[in-house]
Amino acid sequence: MASPCEVLIDTDDRSEAAAVVKVAAAEALRVEQKFSRYRSDNIVHAINHAGGRPVPVDDETAQILDYADECYQISDGKFDITSGVLRKIWRFDGGNQVPSERAVHEVLERVGWHRVRWENHALTMPAGMEIDFGGIGKEYAVDRAAAWCVEQTSAAILVNFGGDLFANGPRREGQPWRVGVDDPARTGEAARLQLELSRGGLATSGDARRFVRWNGKRLGHILDPSTGWPVSEAPRSITVLAATCVEAGTLSTLAYLQGPRAEAFLKEHDVRFWLL
Amino acid sequence: MQLDAPSPTRPLRHRLRSAACLLLASGACAGKATAQSGNTQLDTSTLFYTERGRTTVVEPMVRLTRSLSDGQSFSAQLVLDAMTGASPTGATPSKIAQTVTSASGSTSTTEALKVPVSPFRDFRGALDFDWVRPLGLVTPTTSAHVSRERDYRSLGASEVVSIDLMQRLTTLTVGGGYNSDEVTPIGGTPIGLSDGSVRTQGSNSKRVASGTIGLSRVLTRRWLVGVTGTRIAERGYLTEPYKVVSLLDSVGTPSDQLTEKRPESRSRSGIEASSAYHLDQDVVYTTYRYYWDDWGIRSHTLDFKYRHELGSTTYFTPHVRLYAQTQADFFSGGLQQGVPLPTFASADYRLGPLRSGTLGGTFGFHLPKSPGELTLRVEYIHQWGKGDRGDGETGDVEGPSDDHRSSVSSTVTHPTVAPVDIGTVVLGYSVGF
Amino acid sequence: MSSHRGVLGAALLIIVIAGMNGCAAMSVHPWDRDLLAEKKMKLVPSPTERAIDDHIYFSKEGSTGGQGVGGGGCGCN
Repeated sequence: MASPCEVLIDTDDRSEAAAVVKVAAAEALRVEQKFSRYRSDNIVHAINHAGGRPVPVDDETAQILDYADECYQISDGKFDITSGVLRKIWRFDGGNQVPSERAVHEVLERVGWHRVRWENHALTMPAGMEIDFGGIGKEYAVDRAAAWCVEQTSAAILVNFGGDLFANGPRREGQPWRVGVDDPARTGEAARLQLELSRGGLATSGDARRFVRWNGKRLGHILDPSTGWPVSEAPRSITVLAATCVEAGTLSTLAYLQGPRAEAFLKEHDVRFWLL
Repeated sequence: MQLDAPSPTRPLRHRLRSAACLLLASGACAGKATAQSGNTQLDTSTLFYTERGRTTVVEPMVRLTRSLSDGQSFSAQLVLDAMTGASPTGATPSKIAQTVTSASGSTSTTEALKVPVSPFRDFRGALDFDWVRPLGLVTPTTSAHVSRERDYRSLGASEVVSIDLMQRLTTLTVGGGYNSDEVTPIGGTPIGLSDGSVRTQGSNSKRVASGTIGLSRVLTRRWLVGVTGTRIAERGYLTEPYKVVSLLDSVGTPSDQLTEKRPESRSRSGIEASSAYHLDQDVVYTTYRYYWDDWGIRSHTLDFKYRHELGSTTYFTPHVRLYAQTQADFFSGGLQQGVPLPTFASADYRLGPLRSGTLGGTFGFHLPKSPGELTLRVEYIHQWGKGDRGDGETGDVEGPSDDHRSSVSSTVTHPTVAPVDIGTVVLGYSVGF
Repeated sequence: MSSHRGVLGAALLIIVIAGMNGCAAMSVHPWDRDLLAEKKMKLVPSPTERAIDDHIYFSKEGSTGGQGVGGGGCGCN
């Protein structure tokens, strides 16, 4: 997952804490191994190299594909797990290199969930297309790991995988978990968003580190599948609170995809959010 | 800040939540992201209060608060007071021993130069109910009160509304309350400024209407300030039926005494400014209050607390309070015999020129492996009069107002308010579950 | 006299604090409300303690508390 992962457990029992971390780590590794696009031994690799042939999937993959499908519908096509292939023509290193219009057009031929056939527990995708669970995978891992932790202990736990969080309840004496969200572009106390989380999932979208400059504008690294270009003029960082990390992550991504309309979108849908 | 994700009302949220639930198939997904720490809160405390040579009070209190998921809360509080000791009668200390008869008919003899007191024993119970219902930015709180002691009964209700403005950085509070009290003095109600032999049976009513308006404001990330104004109008029987005013002979020796008499109305106002400032870990609380009423009393109160964090759940808060008040127009150390009586007179030291200083501290901690917070507070209060009233001095009287005549000057040289030493200990315990 | 001075002082304080609109709105963003969220950051941090003190000083002095209304009377003053 390429980010630091931790589990906070409010207990005095060291062995209990060790047992909880063990199951959380095991689940995190399992989810990563199964759904990472960087591996060559998992279902994602099989799907991305099927050359147009149908690929049967297991129940868990089916559930994630169902979720991705629903997100695609809800977002009118903006949330699209086949858009990952666009990263091949974009380099988000702070420079101002942008791909040519022709390059973008070519890649866009290979983007679009509507081109994918998902039915009867099998996925059929035209050759050259790829799916990427990057927008769902980490949050899913958080929620799954939390479910395992909760089975291991009755203590309050907070799962934090690289900034995507889930807390099952407040700490002892009702004390909430204190969470800080850093704005990497600014320094000092004032830049940090401080929250008191008692229960629920928290996810942040938008990364000030990975961007490209164009025409004086700063473009983030989340790509809009309808234009092939990064979403522009979105808030630098959107943090969302929801009942689960998956819901929070999807909402923050959906909001980010609205670009300048992100804040209006969040308000319109009664989302609890913070912008940095 | 309180994090509370509202239940989805929009189709997109509905669909997303259902989708997430299907994906996770866990109990958590249908739950509510929330910061509520529990549904019920129990607060209890016991106050041990003692004045050197005078009153001792033990006051246990228990309060239960139940919160609902929509932010409403209900609370009920029971306070019991057990009071014993001796209370000053208002009679002037004399150079010779005096015999004083108390309201209940018992007699006590006071040594020379000591403040005459009369013994008493009383028991009080009070019940308070509160109902808070947040409605978006407006939060009304409805409260009811009932209390009873041997000779006093009180019934009251109030409504206070707080309104959050400017992204919750400012809160406006407006409220009003009404109390209907009944005083039924033991042995009957004496006629004011008389020898107390004629008493009417039955109860006297006292009605109190009060209003408040306040504004609190977040100034910076660390600083919260507020100002509150209060206005109280009292009507009815406001006299202390057991207190007396001495009649002094030509050399200032108390030779007789009369029952005291206070006006039948009182208009009281107060304005209080407070501040809470958060340092690195500690918090400084400062409050100043200015009070005035139409009996001539004006007072200043300055209160200072410094909450020092000793650990994550332990703290110590030293506390200093300074108080000064001027005397009531009709406050009198003793009435001159042979001179026409004023309309009102009281020698109750609490209406006199008072100073008081409080020094104490609170220690807050948790027991290991136990929920709930404990507090131990120890305080020392020293109260004294403004000083001796020499010949011809009339204290801080401003001159006659409509209803009251200024008190007759006293020619005694004793302090009109004797110093009092008070010690208090409060043990508290709060837990949520 | 003193009554008018008091009311004037009160009005002035309220106007000053209400007028501090500019200061507050500019400097306290939502992510800056961490400290303010703590339970101890209230003008009256312990209502229980406040009630006890109000009762003690109401019985010993000639003034009443400046905060709020309601509560009950007692024969102690």
